[in-house]
Parts: sequence; C-alpha cells; structure tokens
Amino acid sequence: MIPLYGFLEGDSIGLLVLADENDTAADLAEKLQSAARIRVKAEAKMKVVYQGVMIASHTTVAEAQMGALDRFDVIKGELR
Amino acid sequence: MLKRSQWLENARKLDWEFSYVKEEEVFPEVASGKPWLPHDQWKDWDEPYRTSFTEYVRMQSKKDDALAAVREAIGKPEDFWRLPKPWLSALKLHAATLPLAEFAAVIGNLRGARFGRDSAWRTMATLGALDELRHTQIPLSSMHGLVHHDEQFDWTHRFYHSNNWVAIAARHLFDELLLTSNAIEFAVATHFVFETGFTNLQFVALSSLAHDVGDRMFEQTLNSIQSDEARHAQIGLPVLATVFEHDPAYAQYLLDKWFWRAWLLFAVVTGFSMDYLTPLEHRSRSFKEFMQEWVLDQYVRSIEELGLKKPWYWDTFLSALDNYHHMVYASAYSYRASVWFDLVVPGPEERAWLREKYPDSWDGFDRIWQTVTEHWEETDIGNDFAVHGTAIVTFCNLCQLVLSGGTPAKNTATTAIHDDKKYIFCSEPCRWIFERERERYGDHRDVVKRVLAGEAPANLVALLTEYFGLRFETWGKDAFGGDYPWLYRKRTA
Repeated sequence: MIPLYGFLEGDSIGLLVLADENDTAADLAEKLQSAARIRVKAEAKMKVVYQGVMIASHTTVAEAQMGALDRFDVIKGELR
Repeated sequence: MLKRSQWLENARKLDWEFSYVKEEEVFPEVASGKPWLPHDQWKDWDEPYRTSFTEYVRMQSKKDDALAAVREAIGKPEDFWRLPKPWLSALKLHAATLPLAEFAAVIGNLRGARFGRDSAWRTMATLGALDELRHTQIPLSSMHGLVHHDEQFDWTHRFYHSNNWVAIAARHLFDELLLTSNAIEFAVATHFVFETGFTNLQFVALSSLAHDVGDRMFEQTLNSIQSDEARHAQIGLPVLATVFEHDPAYAQYLLDKWFWRAWLLFAVVTGFSMDYLTPLEHRSRSFKEFMQEWVLDQYVRSIEELGLKKPWYWDTFLSALDNYHHMVYASAYSYRASVWFDLVVPGPEERAWLREKYPDSWDGFDRIWQTVTEHWEETDIGNDFAVHGTAIVTFCNLCQLVLSGGTPAKNTATTAIHDDKKYIFCSEPCRWIFERERERYGDHRDVVKRVLAGEAPANLVALLTEYFGLRFETWGKDAFGGDYPWLYRKRTA
C-alpha cells in the first residue's frame, strides 16, 4: 500500500489515503470522497490533480509515478 | 530607615565586573542568547513595574486571599455543573493545555533569572517564575478536583503526559518556547509575542465571556493570572529593543516565527471556546473581533513603534483569521473521540451568527455543517460513531496540528523534500520556520509517520486507546449526543 496525502475540495482537513499501485485516479477520488463523507457530500464529477497536473481517470498510481507521502487533490470537475 | 526610592535603584541594578572569569563564560551565548553583547549594552535595561520582593509577596498574598474567598463562595462542583455543557468543554480545553504549560514557563523564567543580561531583568524573571508557579497551581487545584464528577477533567494533569495529537503539538511548541529557549529568545517569544500579544485574548477577552456565561470562578481566576502576566510581560519589550538595535533581521525573525506559532495555538484554544463552545446568547463578540481588538491593534502598534515590520505572511494571517479555527473545529468535531472534551454542532441560529461575523468565509463551512447535520438526521441519538471520521488524519511537520490550513475551497498544505525525506506543512509560514531551523525540527515525527513506522497503531480505536491515552468514558463525544432541539430526526430508535 502507498500512503498518500489527499485533499478534497470542500473539506476542512487533509486525509491519509492508502492506495494500491493499480488504483486509478477514479479510485483515488472515490476513496477520498468516501473518507470525507461525514463533512463533504460525494459528487460524481471530480478530477484528480497531482503535481499541478490533472490525471486522466484511468491512469494508475504507478503510471502517475505517485510515491509514498505524495500529495494529490480531488477537485470539482469532469474526470476525463 | 531608608525610603523605597533611596534603595530600590541600587537593589535592582546589582551588576558587577567579574575578576576571575570572563563575562562570556558567566553569560554564554548558548544560554543567554544572541546577539551576544557586553553588559554595557544592557545596562539601561528597564521596565515600568520596578517591583520589590516585599511588594511582590504582599500583593500576591492579597490576590491569593481574594481568589480563595471566591472559590469558597462559588467554586464548588455544583457551581460548575450549573454551567452550560459546551462551556465546560472550553474549561477542559483550557485546563489541559495551559496550566502545565505555565509550569514549563517557570523553567523559561528561571533561565532568564540566571542568564538574563541585566540584574533588573533577572529580578523580574525571578518574580515571573513565581508567577508561573501560581498560574499552574490555581487552575490545577480548582479544575482537577472536578475529576470526581467528570473524568474528562483528569486531562488537566494527564494531557502533557500523553501522546494525544493535541498534546504532541502543544509539547512541540512549548518545549521549544518555554524549556529550551535561551534567555533572549524566551523574553522576545514568551514575554513580548505570547504574553503581550496573545494572552490578553485568553485571560482578558475570554474572561469577559466567562462573566457573561456566569462562570465567575473562571473569570476571577483568569483576571488574577492576567494581573501577573501584565507585569512580567514587560520584560519582553526592552529585550526586543536591544536585539533590534544590534541585529534587526534576527529581531524580525523571532517575531515572525513566534507570532505564527502562538497564533496557531490560540486559534485552537481560544477560537474554539469563543465561537463554538460559548453558548450563543452569551457571545458578545466573535473570536476574530476579539483578535482585532486585543491582539492586532496593540501588537502592530508596538512593533511599528520600534521600527519593526508586520510579518511577511500578514495577508496569509488575515485570511487565516477568517478560516483557520473554523477549519480545525470542523475537523476536530468529526474526530472528536481523539480529544478529551465534548464538541457541539452549530445550529441554525449559531450558523447565522457565524455567517454575520465571517461573511467572507462562512459559506464553505456552512456546507460542511449542513452535511454533518444531515448525517445526524439519519442517525439515532447517542450513536456518535455513525457521525465520526474513520480515516487517518494528517499533520503538519512544523506545528504538528492537523493539515487544516487555507479554506475548504483550497487547502494550503505544501510539501518539501530535504535529504530524501518528504515533509508536509499546513501553510507557507510553517514551512518557512521549518526550513530556517531544519536541524532543530527535521527529525521530529508527526503522528502519521509514527503510524507508518509502526510506533502507533493504524486502527482508529487502538490509536485512541493505546496511543492517545483515551477511553470510552473520557474521549470526546457530541455534547448532546446529537439530540438538538433544532434537528429534525428522520430516523427514530
């Protein structure tokens, strides 16, 4: 498992997301939204931003070269 | 017999030239601080109170007698239980975080009493150490006694001896500020920034709210403590003025560093108490308004009079004034079992009040509270964990508080890599402080890194019980079990 710092738009705190290297950007968005559900309503259209760049929905953690304790953001918008 | 005016100056200014040791050996830089200057540069050090020891003892004795009389009359457990439930949480937050920090401040003052560079400074620091001992004993005595009726008050003593995340953050701040700082940094950071700048907020402004709530015991306690703080805080300004004269860049750095660190602490301790834990009908002003009145106006005026500037991050700070304590409170509410006091959901009237007080930022927080409220509408009364977070939260590598910088729309967390190690910070000022003193802070592990290293359990309940030192009886819950008169419960037991 790869621990990542996840920040969801609309939330008040960053959360630790334990990702698998085969998780896609869509999976990361779902995991983070699920972890923050007490405070933020889940939305269907969210995109993942890593190192300032939007990640395509099917791109995996390994393909994006995300490493342990890297940061990603989930923000409102269409995941392509 | 000599009159006071005939002997006081000689008694206060009792410095002499050393014959068989060098001045640098008596006052080494590591303990006295920098810039290291010969005593000639400190000999005009002065402060306005000029208290003698006799006067000090007489005055403190009167204060203690007055406080004992108040405690006798209105400090019984039944007097506390008459207070609103959320206010008791404000007391628990204060009781855990501040009295034993005051005890650590005894050490800092004693360092000033030995290594301060002028005898009048050393005399004042001696009285300051005695003050801080008093500030430890008074609340410990009155609040820990309540443990017989409410176990959460046990955290008055337990807090600093635990690995609770708030305690880790508080120790990270206070160990440096109060236990390890040299005499100059302690004087600038504690006496000038912390006590002149911020303690008015907790000890004067919060005291006025205590009065409104009807908590006369806490009000009198805070007033009594503040009268001491006002005296020994005067050590800071003349020390800062001398540092500024000889090394203005260092003086500015000390101010900028400690203003930010003090702000984060008070945003949590005082911000929670004023804007969430004080019942709405007793709130006279918001935390932001109190900050503007008691901290900003006075602090900015004092530094600018000396020729110093506002911190470089001033715009970030002004934005944080609208957001930071709301960010942390919403996070703490949803992880309330990780703290030792109960929290409340702001209801419709409170949310309207908060919107009025924070018109530029409240929208984002209102959405969060609406979501929390809707979860409670679907949940049975008292089923706390159904409206509670389960994921591991994240922490800043400088302040050790949660990564709740910025706004709900944009969290200001920022990352850095040094020597192949990854770090994350809640804000640019925290990152800046860390990078200025990386050798001091670099090896400290936050809670996430302790979990990943296997030092702390990853399972939330195990983390709470085995690492944070909490039990079901003591961990924080919703103060009303989610049973609010304004809440429409869709599901009934």
